[in-house]
Amino acid sequence: MELSRPSTVDEAVAALGNGAVALAGGTELVPLLRDGLVRADRVVHLADAVPRGIDGTRIGAGTTLAELEVDPQIPSALREACRLAASPQLRSMGTIGGNLLQATRCWYWRLEFPCRLHGGDRCHAAEGVHREHAFFASDFCASAHPSDPAAALVALGGMLRTDRRELPVAELYRLPTEDDRSTTTLAPGELILELDVPAPEASVYLKAMDRRRWSFPIVGVAVARAADGVRIALAGAAPIPWAIASEADLDGATPLPGTAYKLDVARALVRRALAEV
Amino acid sequence: MGATLLETLRGELGLSGTKIACGEGHCGACTVLLDGVPVLSCITLVHTVGEREVTTIEGLREHPLVRSFVRADALQCGFCTPGQIVSAAALVGAVPEPSREEIRHHMAGNICRCGAYPRIEEAILTWRD
Ligand SMILES: Cc1cc2nc3c(=O)[nH]c(=O)nc-3n(C[C@H](O)[C@H](O)[C@H](O)COP(=O)(O)OP(=O)(O)OC[C@H]3O[C@@H](n4cnc5c(N)ncnc54)[C@H](O)[C@@H]3O)c2cc1C
Ligand code: SF4
Ligand code: FES
Ligand code: FES
Repeated sequence: MELSRPSTVDEAVAALGNGAVALAGGTELVPLLRDGLVRADRVVHLADAVPRGIDGTRIGAGTTLAELEVDPQIPSALREACRLAASPQLRSMGTIGGNLLQATRCWYWRLEFPCRLHGGDRCHAAEGVHREHAFFASDFCASAHPSDPAAALVALGGMLRTDRRELPVAELYRLPTEDDRSTTTLAPGELILELDVPAPEASVYLKAMDRRRWSFPIVGVAVARAADGVRIALAGAAPIPWAIASEADLDGATPLPGTAYKLDVARALVRRALAEV
Repeated sequence: MGATLLETLRGELGLSGTKIACGEGHCGACTVLLDGVPVLSCITLVHTVGEREVTTIEGLREHPLVRSFVRADALQCGFCTPGQIVSAAALVGAVPEPSREEIRHHMAGNICRCGAYPRIEEAILTWRD
């Protein structure tokens, strides 16, 4: 396998596609390559091409979660989402761009069951073990989106700049369908370069885990209050980060037998988070 | 896939102090420092290391933490210990007197199957004694 390290965005974009994949911190990609879940004969290391660092509301996509976790310029919901994500070593390696693009942690998918997200015709989780899965939008694929920062960014109304367009973070994601199994709207070879996160009046991120730290979210709740109102987004709730307009929207959830408990957790956290902002 | 930093350390360089357990970023047994920052060598491609300085447990032989781990009896099987000491060395380098809460936050990525956590915490609290 070949590794290249382009020094500009243009070179990086040109090097992508055609059996090449982008590598940032590698915390997600390296295990996926090793397990054969991603196949590539060339890896394009983004370290010198994609911006890194924080400047007011702007965040380079190559900024690590560890850098975001301690920076006072970052709104508290995003800082807390980073602080509670993964482990210290992973936060030092993992970038925010890579975090937004992490694949599902559904074990059926990771163990290469021929499920819908792999292009098959069944959701093994919905029929099988799915305690960690979704309670919204679970009818096609019941996976639960694992990113804490993504939920925070959706609640904060964050924007993304790629090498070819600007879009709200929420529009980076799409629910997988029969015709298109992907969960993001990123084009092949498209690079996330920068985020812009407007300062809220107040924001908070609360996370329920199986243990006190170092665990994927059972449910994560991000709430941000801005001049135009309050926004709520959930991690661990649906195949993609899930925005709801109010606590009442939780009444419309569609839990599986094994994820009904998550709805109770979400209700409690949403209430608590709303009280805090 | 290209070689990982861990494979290079243990295989090519014969530095077997750095351990491999899960091999996929979950446990911290393979922790080394890159320019002083703890990272997981099992999921670091060696060709991405570049000019950065790598510190393994072998480079921390004289660190006072080694003695404080022995003093506090902070291990049972000892398999996680190199990774624990590497992570702890970065912590006390940045925060010489960490609180229990800081220790728990910064050491969360180093799993100990033997459950020696209380004594690991003790060893870090008393590292300069
Ligand atoms: C054991 C474990 C536990 C974890 N726990 C949590 C958790 O609790 N909460 C949480 O939120 N996350 C968690 N994570 C996810 C972790 O935060 C991500 O793996 C990390 O942030 C990914 O960043 P990276 O730079 O390492 O990405 P990489 O592994 O380098 O890349 C990931 C993906 O993004 C693509 N990519 C990277 N950067 C760009 C870019 N700029 N433009 C376009 N594509 C890009 C890559 O091609 C690849 O497909 C966990 C991960 C592991 C391994
Ligand atoms: S939840 Fe999604 S990823 Fe998991 S088995 Fe079902 S279709 Fe596959
Ligand atoms: S061996 Fe690297 S994290 Fe477990
Ligand atoms: S002492 Fe055995 S794993 Fe920690």
